[in-house]
Amino acid sequence: MRWQLRAVPCMESTETMPAAAIIIRSLTKVYGSLTALDHFDLEVVQGSIFGLLGPNGAGKTTLIRILTTLMRQSSGTAVIEGFDSLRDGREIRRRIGVVSQENSLDRYLTARENLELHARLHGLAKRQYQPRIDHLLELMGLSGRQKDFPDTFSGGMQRRLVIARALVHQPQVLFLDEPTTGLDPQSRRAVWEYIRSLAGSMTIFLTTHYLEEAEQLCDRIAIMDHGRLIALGSTQELKDRLSGATVYEIEFAGQSADQYARLLADMSCVIGISRAERSVTVTLECWECLSEIVTALNGAAIRRISLKERTLEDVFISLTGEKVRE
Amino acid sequence: MILRGTLAIWQRDMLILRRSIFSELLAVVAYPLTMYLAFGIGMQSYIGLVDGTPYGLFIAPGLITMTAVNAAYNESVWSLWFHRRVQFTIESYRVTPISVSEIVIAKICTGFTHGIIKGVAVGVVIFAITPFRFPLEHLFYYLLFLIPASAFFSCAGIISGTVMDKPETIGKVEAVLVMPLIFMSGLFFPLSSYPTDVIPWVKLLPTTALFEGARRALVAGEVQSVYLLQVVLSALFTFIAAVVIFRRKMSE
Repeated sequence: MRWQLRAVPCMESTETMPAAAIIIRSLTKVYGSLTALDHFDLEVVQGSIFGLLGPNGAGKTTLIRILTTLMRQSSGTAVIEGFDSLRDGREIRRRIGVVSQENSLDRYLTARENLELHARLHGLAKRQYQPRIDHLLELMGLSGRQKDFPDTFSGGMQRRLVIARALVHQPQVLFLDEPTTGLDPQSRRAVWEYIRSLAGSMTIFLTTHYLEEAEQLCDRIAIMDHGRLIALGSTQELKDRLSGATVYEIEFAGQSADQYARLLADMSCVIGISRAERSVTVTLECWECLSEIVTALNGAAIRRISLKERTLEDVFISLTGEKVRE
Repeated sequence: MILRGTLAIWQRDMLILRRSIFSELLAVVAYPLTMYLAFGIGMQSYIGLVDGTPYGLFIAPGLITMTAVNAAYNESVWSLWFHRRVQFTIESYRVTPISVSEIVIAKICTGFTHGIIKGVAVGVVIFAITPFRFPLEHLFYYLLFLIPASAFFSCAGIISGTVMDKPETIGKVEAVLVMPLIFMSGLFFPLSSYPTDVIPWVKLLPTTALFEGARRALVAGEVQSVYLLQVVLSALFTFIAAVVIFRRKMSE
C-alpha cells in the first residue's frame, strides 16, 4: 500500500515543508520482557543526512532493522518513501540501500562480482548495471582492484566497497549503520567525503558512536535511549538546549583562586562552579551574567576569561548519563 | 513467485563451484573410492555374492548415492551456516527486493546441484575402474531415486544450517544422525542381516528406501514404487519444512 506523502511539520524552521522520506509513528518493539523501542516517533526529511545517536542497547539497531524490513515491529508504523514496512517490504527494499555494521561482503566473489550480484538481486539488466558499477568503482577509488577479492582489501577499502554495493541500484534512502567503526582516521575521513558527496541526491540515515562524525555530517540528529527519542534537532540546536547555560573559565595570575571561588559561589547568577589551582570554571544562567562577574572581580589579577564551547558529547552525556552500558 | 533472486544466488554458487571444481571433485571422489577399494575389492573375495550380486556391484550404487546425498547435505548445511553466521551475506540478500523463500530455494538448488554433480563424478570413476555395465534405462531408473534424494538431503542440510548456530553442533549431528542413517540403511550389507523384528522399522527410514530402491533400480532395473514414493514424499516434506523453518528463523 502506498501512503500519500505529505508536507512534514517536524522541521519547524522551514517555510516550504519538505516531504518526509521516513515517518515513524509510535513504533514499539518488545522482546519478551525487554522493550527495545518504546512508542518511538520520528520524521526524516527527503534529501537530508540524519544521524541517530544513542548508547549501546538504546535501540538503534532494532530501529534500523525494522526500517530496513529485516524485523517486524510489535506495534506502530514505519513508512519509508510512502511505503508501509509491514505491508510493502519488497517495495521498500527496492528503494533503500543498506550498509550494515558487518561488512557482509562475499569473500568468494571479486569486488566487481559482489556489485554485480547485488545488481542482479535488484533485477537490473546487465546493460544498466555495468556502466553504473564502472562509475561506482571509479568514485570509490576501487577501479584498479575490481578483480581482486575483498579479503585482500584494507578495512577502509572494504567499507567503500560495501557503500558502493548499497548504491548500485540508486536507492532513495541509504541506511548507514556505524559506517566507520574500526577504521583509521584517514579511512574514516575518506568515507565521510563519500557520504558528503551523496548529500542531496538521496536521504541518508546514519547511526554512529562517533559524535564528531554526526557533527560533521548530519543536518539533523536524534538522540535515543531506552528505546525512546530524547532529543532531536541540529547540532547547534541540541547544544543550545543544554540548559541554556554558558560556561566560562577564569584564570588568575599569580594568586590562588580560592578567595574568588568563594566570592563567585555566592552570586545568584552562578549556577555551578569548579576550582583548579589558579582557575575557576563557572556555569552562568546566561551569557549576560558575565558583566556581573567581571564587576565582582574588580581588582583581581585576571589573566584570561575563556568561553568553554559545549560539544555534542556534552549534550549526549547530559542526556544519556555517564554510566557505562552493558 | 518471482525466482529472479533464486537464479541470481544459484548462479553465484555455481560460479564458486566452477572455480574450485577440480579440487572439489578430487576431495569428493577420494572418500567413496577408498571405501570401494577397501570394501568392494578387499572384501569381495571373502564375501562373494550378496543375494546373488557380486559384493563390489552390491555396494557401488550405495557409494554413488552416499556421495551425492552427503555432498548435497554438506553443501547446504555449511553454506547456509557460513553465509548466515560468518559472512552475513544472507542479511545482505534480505535487504534486496527478493523474498526469503527465494533465498532458501536457491540454497536448496545449490545443494541439489552439488549432490548430482559429485554423485555422477563418483559414478563415472567407479564404472571406469570396474567391469560392471548397466543398460541406459537402469541409469534412468536410478536417477529417479538420486534426484529426489539429493533434494531431500539438501533440504535437511538447510534445516540444520538454519537452526544450528555453532559449527560443532553441525558436526555432531552429522556424526550421530546423518552418517548412521546412511550406514545403517543397507549400504554395505543386505537388510536381511538385521533381526527379523527390526527389519520393518529399518524399512521405515527414508534412507533405507533410498539405498535399497536405488540399488535395485541400478542393478536390476526395478523401480520399487513404495520406496520411490517414500523418497519423494520425504523430499517434499523436508522442502516445506526447510522453507518454513528458514522463514521463521529469519523473522526472529
